[in-house]
Amino acid sequence: MKIKTLLSTFTALGFTATAYAQESSGSPLQISGSVDTYYKYDLNKASNIKTYFANEQNSVSLGMIDLALKKSTGKASFVGELSFGPRGQSQSIPNAAGTYDEKTNSFHIQNLYISYAFTDKFNIAAGYMGTFVGYEVISPAANFNYSTSYLFGSGPFQNAGIKASYTFSDQVSLMAGLFNDWNVYQDFNGVSHIGAQLTLSPLSGWTAYLNFLSGRSAGAAGTGTIFDLTTAYQITDQFKMGLNAANYTISNNNGGYAGVALYPQYAFTKAVALGLRAEYFNYKGAAGTQDAAVASFTLSGNIKSGGLTFIPEVRLDSDKDFSQGFLKRNGLTATKNASQFSLAAVYAF
Amino acid sequence: MLSSIDPNAGRKPGVFLGVKLMKIRLLAALLFLSCHIAVAQGENLAVNENGKLIYYEVVKLEGITSDLLRNRLDAYLKKQKTLKVKSAVGDSAILANGKFVINKTLLVMSHPSGEVLYSFNAEVKEGKYRFWLSDFGFVPYQRDRYGNFVAATAKATPLEENPGKLNEGQWKEYRTQTAKYVQDFAAKLKQYMANEKPVEIPAPEKKVVSKSW
Repeated sequence: MKIKTLLSTFTALGFTATAYAQESSGSPLQISGSVDTYYKYDLNKASNIKTYFANEQNSVSLGMIDLALKKSTGKASFVGELSFGPRGQSQSIPNAAGTYDEKTNSFHIQNLYISYAFTDKFNIAAGYMGTFVGYEVISPAANFNYSTSYLFGSGPFQNAGIKASYTFSDQVSLMAGLFNDWNVYQDFNGVSHIGAQLTLSPLSGWTAYLNFLSGRSAGAAGTGTIFDLTTAYQITDQFKMGLNAANYTISNNNGGYAGVALYPQYAFTKAVALGLRAEYFNYKGAAGTQDAAVASFTLSGNIKSGGLTFIPEVRLDSDKDFSQGFLKRNGLTATKNASQFSLAAVYAF
Repeated sequence: MLSSIDPNAGRKPGVFLGVKLMKIRLLAALLFLSCHIAVAQGENLAVNENGKLIYYEVVKLEGITSDLLRNRLDAYLKKQKTLKVKSAVGDSAILANGKFVINKTLLVMSHPSGEVLYSFNAEVKEGKYRFWLSDFGFVPYQRDRYGNFVAATAKATPLEENPGKLNEGQWKEYRTQTAKYVQDFAAKLKQYMANEKPVEIPAPEKKVVSKSW
């Protein structure tokens, strides 16, 4: 026991350190990642709210372990990010056969790309990359709320392709690229999507991303086009406001979605913050069918200590068109409302 | 049977374990002490009359004109990628904003955990100059969707602020690293201003004579 205690003391004292980065042409291999776990309880005792990740009812469940490697040598760099666990496998990335299936092996890959910075302003990257569309991301360490929005779940997760970025000034940059179909390692109808992102930083603390992605996926009924605005403004030291709005249309009256989400957040201290997500989301009807709308309110706390963040969360969803299949406690009767509580622990390293 | 050259020969197993534990404790104590000393040496940023952390120094360089000092200062700042000149007052004073990155390391792994922003001020006079670094603020990094570390907030937190008990240890480290950076920065600046650049001797060209062998 004593030896164990001493060894952990050695680890804490001797091997963990911070140091300021000295200038050099190459950087050391960066290893980072996160681990997350959660408990969720739906007040109707069902997994009513079906948006991503915090799904399992009355259970202490796994998120994922996420491991990212990055190395830069001169102007070239690579990123390889692997994930293991429900959140990082079948729920967010396809397996080798291109389907989301827990029973067959996955490639485990969230990011796998190589980039080359021709100058300080011009960069080209190619490979399998996290999507540039939307406010929320797969990694729980980069989201304020633990459960995710309807906008997140409906948009792309990854975009494999090649993209070029140019920084015009500190306020303006532009990315444009050619991409595969959404979320696939291989595009079976050829590289079929074009995408672009205009980044604007008009004020200190305010950044806005105007995103565009369009193309016809293999086997799709029409060409899908998404316009997305993602922006966040740190108005004061304590108060931050985020916004995500998107409109997705599949040509020839084949549906799509539109939605808007607001993310006001207030930091009481450096370690404690409270944030709301208020979302309105509309599924566009295809071929003459009716639209269906959902409203969702999620109140989350963030309590931080070093790399650890506790996220207690309460969520209320309203489904006036019964598109989500919410059920009452008896498990049989449909209802418009669903509510859940969750407590998540996320450790980022 | 115990070998006669075994240093533990004849000792009871309990005694052997006790000696081993003593050694480990001694090693742990030494390690703790060395870490403690390293931290103590780094924590030497002064506090000015407004309660702000500051590094301030006046350097005398007898016989060097203020014009020459200003030229050297301009040339030095131009070479620094992480320093941007914000304003210059006449021929004598200059203000620049700078930043440096703090890395977190654990054995072979390392990644940036944030950056420290600061302001750099300098003034020159005949035969002397002074400079000071202040307004230190920390901006934490977080990993973005592409696996890169980027600023998590737009506003820096002054290093003088109390981060609360939950993050106190980490904050202390940021201050320690800032002090180390500032000392290195000051040493390099003073060397440049004194024109004490190491003389680079060009390596003799190697000639290959292929005709005669």
